[in-house]
Amino acid sequence: MTTATVPLTSTASVRTPWTEFWRKFKRQHAAVIAGVFVLLLVTLAILAPWIVPYDAENFFDYDSLNARPSWKHWFGVDPLGRDILSRLLMGARISLTAGFVSVAVGAIVGTVLGLVAGYREGWWDRIIMRLCDVLFAFPGILLAIGIVAILGGGMINVIIAVAIFSIPTFARLVRGNTLSLKHLTYVEAARSVGASDWTIVMRHIFPGTIAAVVVYFSLRIGTSIITAASLSFIGLGAQPPTPEWGAMLNEARSDMMTSPHVAIFPSLAIFFTVLAFNLLGDGLRDALDPKIDRR
Amino acid sequence: MKIKSHSMLFAALAVGAAMAVPAYAAKDVVFAVASQFTTTDPYDANDTLSQAMAKSFYEGLFGFDKDMKVIPVLAESYTASKDGLVYTIKLKKGIKFHDGTDFKADAVKANLDRVTNPENKLKRYGLYNNNIAKTEAVDDSTARITLKTPFSAFINQLAHPSTVMISPTALAKYGNKDIAFNPVGTGPFKFVEWKQTDYLKVAKNENYWQKGLPKVDSITWKPVIDSNSRAAVMQTGEAQFTYPLPYEQAETLKAKADLDVVAAPSIILRYLSMNTQQKPFDNPKVRQAIAYAINKEAVAKIAFSGYATPADGIVPEGVEYSVKIGVMPYDVAKAKQLLTEAGYPNGFETELWSGYNHSIAQKLTQVLQQQLQQIGIRTKITLLEAGQRVEKVESWQDPATAPVRLYYIGWSSSTGEADWAIRPLLASDSWPPKLFNTAYYKSDKVDGDIKSALLTTDKTEKAKFYKDAQESIYKDAPWVPLVTEKLLSAKSKRLSGVYTMPDGSFDIINVDLK
Repeated sequence: MTTATVPLTSTASVRTPWTEFWRKFKRQHAAVIAGVFVLLLVTLAILAPWIVPYDAENFFDYDSLNARPSWKHWFGVDPLGRDILSRLLMGARISLTAGFVSVAVGAIVGTVLGLVAGYREGWWDRIIMRLCDVLFAFPGILLAIGIVAILGGGMINVIIAVAIFSIPTFARLVRGNTLSLKHLTYVEAARSVGASDWTIVMRHIFPGTIAAVVVYFSLRIGTSIITAASLSFIGLGAQPPTPEWGAMLNEARSDMMTSPHVAIFPSLAIFFTVLAFNLLGDGLRDALDPKIDRR
Repeated sequence: MKIKSHSMLFAALAVGAAMAVPAYAAKDVVFAVASQFTTTDPYDANDTLSQAMAKSFYEGLFGFDKDMKVIPVLAESYTASKDGLVYTIKLKKGIKFHDGTDFKADAVKANLDRVTNPENKLKRYGLYNNNIAKTEAVDDSTARITLKTPFSAFINQLAHPSTVMISPTALAKYGNKDIAFNPVGTGPFKFVEWKQTDYLKVAKNENYWQKGLPKVDSITWKPVIDSNSRAAVMQTGEAQFTYPLPYEQAETLKAKADLDVVAAPSIILRYLSMNTQQKPFDNPKVRQAIAYAINKEAVAKIAFSGYATPADGIVPEGVEYSVKIGVMPYDVAKAKQLLTEAGYPNGFETELWSGYNHSIAQKLTQVLQQQLQQIGIRTKITLLEAGQRVEKVESWQDPATAPVRLYYIGWSSSTGEADWAIRPLLASDSWPPKLFNTAYYKSDKVDGDIKSALLTTDKTEKAKFYKDAQESIYKDAPWVPLVTEKLLSAKSKRLSGVYTMPDGSFDIINVDLK
């Protein structure tokens, strides 16, 4: 596409992995927009307590129940007289935290297991991978429901549940990468000069798996947000009056026929957030995968 | 839109066909109700709905008309002895149970002996309060019931929807527990089948003793738990009657040409009970603070879309001997002050349970949560499903360890009389698991009033005792009376003869479909 410019810039500057990544990433317009949206959302979520127009839990106006969107209440009022915009903003904190923390825990544990399985092989590999197969055998949401049923409801337990069902995918992904990396020449070179297993794994193999983990991480956040919201929707996650998006949808159920906006805005929030994370993840994959565009 | 016009065309064809060959058109009616039935045995049911449904195949000696006035059903007449201890009941003749057994005085004896025997462990054992000394069949059409102490509301008890006549032959055949799966009564419909989560079906009793009834061939009682779905099955014509109709949908359904929305008065009181045996609710000031903190108008407006009125006493209007005391005022400042006086200036944390898990309860508990938060009381909401409610509240054996704190529930006095509105909920010998005093309230004064009111046969005396009891309870505040709701039902314009009764049960005997 931009073949003419590449040789010129390559002579003008050093192509570090970062500039290389950015060069590829900025060409993915959808991913850039999604990335901006995610950044904006994260900023709003962090600033939410200071910028929300009303108290998300303790403001209520009994005279304008289910009021349509207006200048006073941009996204309208819910069936209990609360400001929907304020609740969505505060809910963004919860949903993003739930999504990020659960995937982070899943990614860390999964990566460690994957490195061990891939590097050691043998019994380690077989045991870890069979455990992953067991977890894979359950449909994700069902596994999460089962874990929450054992641990009890509440947002913390939902995060644990989502983390647990994120582990096997990361483990398998990292194991695969480890298996292929450890037979590369530079790893063998490291071994031949007497590097310890720890050094080989941490210095030479682990960095090679990061790209795949990062891509999968961002794709996974979307799924985790949906799972957490689903659990709250069926009453297992966030408890009232917490403005979690899934819980808000659940509370909107009885009024959505007559006042659609009470359900539409939380739905849109979930929809756009998950879409943004998925587009961002796609963009990251295209930018980080060396097999795509080798120039 | 296209689908809709098709279905309307289909409906028009169906109606056309029905009119063309009326003799062959089966009249099958579907009622969509809000919960699954707990049992078909009214003696073993706590819920009004199961008892109301059971009226399709069971009848009592007495019953209620639409205004909760007692009327004879299987009984012809009765006389009470001067001392108020012996009731002689004349029975109607020539009535047969569905299994062919003749309805005679031995059925009265079999049924009352069954419920008054504590070994049978029936949930309605408490209704008779261990007060029936004996039941005798004098002759085929005369039953005589002797009480231990005079009880002036006795005929109301016999009219309670749980007191029905089950075929003594069937009782002997199926036994105390299995009769619930094989109900045999004298009612207008015969039991066909019960698929617990799906439906309960009854079919016309061709030999029903009231000539010309029933007018339809079958009724299918369908539990449709989600309230939006209940409104939806009415709009699609899958059901011809539904109760309760979600309040949010009243306006939408009113606009439909083929549906009627009916708001009827009720004697159902919704209240918040507080466990008076546990800290901090053992302190009357805490209880009063909670009562002041709750805006009952807001509760009516939000949870019931305005189809409810703030409760103005302990026993709702429409129940005999109820007293109007006034709505407990909404006053946050006063509530805070009381809480401070009680030693909780910063509030406390507690559990808020609801005995129902439908969307009204979901909203209502959140309104309560919001308002209690204003005075610093932080609550964790749990909507109990029926099994949990029985396990954690109604059947809890040891009052000292009862986990219930704030508990949202409701009650309708199905005898239409103050005794059954007060005694099972607030007498000290009605603590769970015996009856439903979920506040674990104990007041010697109220206990005394209840006892005296039952002993006297003089109506003005009785009214005085009940007034005194209601006022003491109001002052002690073991409950926050919240609202008395309107009963909102929807019916197809083709359907007639179905009414909601003020206690939340139904009168279906005249049901007909055009």
